[in-house]
Amino acid sequence: MIPCTCIVQDGQISAESEATLRSKLDAFSTKAFGSSAEINWVTVPAAGGFTASKPSTSSIVSIRPSAPIDQETRATLLHELCGFWTAETGQTLNEIVGVISDPMPA
Amino acid sequence: MPLYSCNALPGAIDDAAKPKIAADITRIHCDVTGAPPIFVHAFFFEDAPHQPLDDSKAFLFGSIRAGRTDDQKAQIADQMRQSIHTHAGIPLEDIKVITQDTPAKWVLEGGEIMPEPGEEAEWLAKHHPEAAAHA
Repeated sequence: MIPCTCIVQDGQISAESEATLRSKLDAFSTKAFGSSAEINWVTVPAAGGFTASKPSTSSIVSIRPSAPIDQETRATLLHELCGFWTAETGQTLNEIVGVISDPMPA
Repeated sequence: MPLYSCNALPGAIDDAAKPKIAADITRIHCDVTGAPPIFVHAFFFEDAPHQPLDDSKAFLFGSIRAGRTDDQKAQIADQMRQSIHTHAGIPLEDIKVITQDTPAKWVLEGGEIMPEPGEEAEWLAKHHPEAAAHA
């Protein structure tokens, strides 16, 4: 399983969109990293999210594959990830932060 | 990025304190590192299982771009701990602040790989021209 943490603002993403995104993230992880996603969906409570000191509309999606990947592959995957996220949610690219890390050191 | 995630005991940081602490987090991070405010996210949680409090009453975890010095990280931790203490009234010894380096090249924001620290001007001009004009 590939750990995947999604941090979203309260009320920003409908239950239907969440289900769609979970499905897409799982398919993305399986295709890109050969294993399904272990999704930790975290909602920032109302009035608890700030970006540049103002109420936040940003989401953070962070994935940690089990093996290192080269930077060209990482960039391609990050664009794909943020692309399907914005297409589903209607958020702009300025409102989504995608992270694909290298594995934790042993 | 940076993302500052603050977990606290229920009620330890009230809703009036959160925007003040978020403003301080943004100001402190930008003052210490020179980064533009538009990059700074501050999210508040209560008793969140993804960020255990252990023996603290408030735990601020900052995922920041790699490349900051140990002195910068120490300033960030000290000043942000003081801000939480000031606005929420939590004793300093009950507030934990930790930062973790994240390579900029791991992060896509605004549809592009994040710039390295100190190389934000072009990125800002493209995605937030209003911020670039004031950077």
